[in-house]
Amino acid sequence: MSNHGENIITSDSGIPLKTVYTKDDVQDINVEKEIGYPGREPFLRGIHENMYRGKLWTIRQFTGYNTPEETNERFRYEHKNGSTGFSIAFDAPTENGLDADDLNVADDVGMGGVSCCTLRDMEVMFEGLPIDKVSTAVIASPFSACALSAMYFVLAEKRGIDIKKLMGTTQNDLLLFTACCHLPAIIPPRHLIRLCVDLVEWCAQNTPKWHPVSIASYNYRENGLNAWQEVGLLFANAIAYIEEELKRNRLKVDEFVPTMSFHMASHSDFFEEVAKFRAARRIWCKLLKERYKAEDPKSLMLRFHVQTSGSTLTYQQPLNNLIRVAYQVLAAALGGVQSLHANSYDEGICLPTEQGILLSLRTQQIAQLETGITRVSDPLGGSYYLEHLTNEIEKRIWDYMKKLEDKGGLISCLESGWIHQESFQAMNKYQNQIKTGERKVVGVNCFELEEEPYQVPYFRPDPGTAQRQKEKLENIRNTRDNQKVAKTLLDLKNATINGENVMPAVISAVKEYATLGEICDVWREIYGIWEIPVGTSWS
Amino acid sequence: MLKESNSGKKRVIMAKPGLDGHWRAAMIISTALRNAGMEVIYMGNQTPAAIVECAMQEDVDAVGLSILAASHMKLIKAVVDLLKEKNMSDIPVVVGGTIPRHDIPELYDMGVKAVFPPGSKIEKIVDFFMENV
Repeated sequence: MSNHGENIITSDSGIPLKTVYTKDDVQDINVEKEIGYPGREPFLRGIHENMYRGKLWTIRQFTGYNTPEETNERFRYEHKNGSTGFSIAFDAPTENGLDADDLNVADDVGMGGVSCCTLRDMEVMFEGLPIDKVSTAVIASPFSACALSAMYFVLAEKRGIDIKKLMGTTQNDLLLFTACCHLPAIIPPRHLIRLCVDLVEWCAQNTPKWHPVSIASYNYRENGLNAWQEVGLLFANAIAYIEEELKRNRLKVDEFVPTMSFHMASHSDFFEEVAKFRAARRIWCKLLKERYKAEDPKSLMLRFHVQTSGSTLTYQQPLNNLIRVAYQVLAAALGGVQSLHANSYDEGICLPTEQGILLSLRTQQIAQLETGITRVSDPLGGSYYLEHLTNEIEKRIWDYMKKLEDKGGLISCLESGWIHQESFQAMNKYQNQIKTGERKVVGVNCFELEEEPYQVPYFRPDPGTAQRQKEKLENIRNTRDNQKVAKTLLDLKNATINGENVMPAVISAVKEYATLGEICDVWREIYGIWEIPVGTSWS
Repeated sequence: MLKESNSGKKRVIMAKPGLDGHWRAAMIISTALRNAGMEVIYMGNQTPAAIVECAMQEDVDAVGLSILAASHMKLIKAVVDLLKEKNMSDIPVVVGGTIPRHDIPELYDMGVKAVFPPGSKIEKIVDFFMENV
């Protein structure tokens, strides 16, 4: 990615780069077939012909802290200031499928995300917000996804919204919370994927406008992998979901693939990121058409959300992060993104302050309304450099996908610890590049300052959240019909053991105000807790 | 059961108190300490009680804690207080993670030996362990 002994300059991921590119570098490209036109196969140039003239990307900021009441306030603030989609950040107990009053979790309740234990919490979180018109991303782990999605669907129905028209996404990504962000209280991956795909299957049939999965290679990238490893794993994960559903013989490819969506990173190397997004679209189209014989054009279109890369932001001189995020937003927009989260400048220090969030919204709005980039679809298309780089990244992505398949596919690579090892090597390599100065980080290994030149406000979550959530839980357990709850949980157990789709039983349990922990305990009892293959365990 | 450390190497626990799942940093520091000749017991996510229990059982020379989820104050205090309770305050506790500057003095007051926020030089962290452990 910078000068090696032989004076080879490369992209961040190691693709060799010439000083300049000319028409000679693209003369072998069949422009009509390989580059094409936005809105048509292979969708390299965008999934719609008119892209942002037709619809601007959604401004969707990942948000959540303390209690649902306080998160509701932050959602209102964002909406008032121009966000066009919601995205819920849950705390670690919630992602683990644990209740706020479970043993040993109190110190994590409301920290790093909002605590959400029951349907009541979800109701409070969206009080007064127009969820019939504005979509929500439920950023749930594969373990908590069924229950948290069910809470949102039941909430919508109670408000008289037709869930066939309900718009939104559940993250539900198998790999994220098994390889990238560890959850010490979840079931093994080979059983988790069943829950993931139950949600996909149920939503395809009941909530057609809902994306029941958003495969989040953002996190694989944040874990240290490079641009083509990121997308290689993204698609290996997608393949695992598709194959899992197909082997059930219940739905055809075109009946569920159009509901799948994706979530990528936007990292530092500007052109490499734009090339990556374009290559990803072309690969998805080819994969679905050639391997899975999809016929519906919607199955061939890669719809994705982007979060700008948190790991590239610094603790030192934090206002510099505004600049980094602006470039990363630009790369995502020029790469044809559908929905975008711009990190707040205080990302390296704390959860977003109000000031941080406001600037994140403004960064996106300025990109959309002042720069003119939204007037033309795929405006960088045809650049000699970009088309060459797109091809180079695509080759490497296919190679990485093959490597994973040769090793037995995603679940195999995950449970054996191979993916953890890949990440481990990548993260150490990245860190070494910073140590040697090969990778420059302004303010950290160059242009450092002894003293911070300014102060910024910082956000501290409220440690009283655990107590408040506990009291609510006690109240719910005392006022609900516990016999009904017990029955729904037993039905869930039976549905799980009998291989039925678990969603109907989860929904029934949620309606009776069964807690997230109670629902997930059913699965923990059947399948046990997974031992993460890096020497970790939860006691 | 006490394990005998006859290798002469410094023994360090690297743990993530509570449920925060961001493990990249803890892994990188573990690698750096191992490369510097230390023995690192990577525990991953553990309760403060389990961390201290392990510190006792493994007769370690230092405890490294990594948190990147805003949950640091209570969890680190719990580890430090438990070590005090077990008369193990001589074991230095070293902290890394997304710790706002305002919180750092409070952590030192609690008894933490060093705090390394994001962007800290790896060599500086390793040197600290070499000199203070």
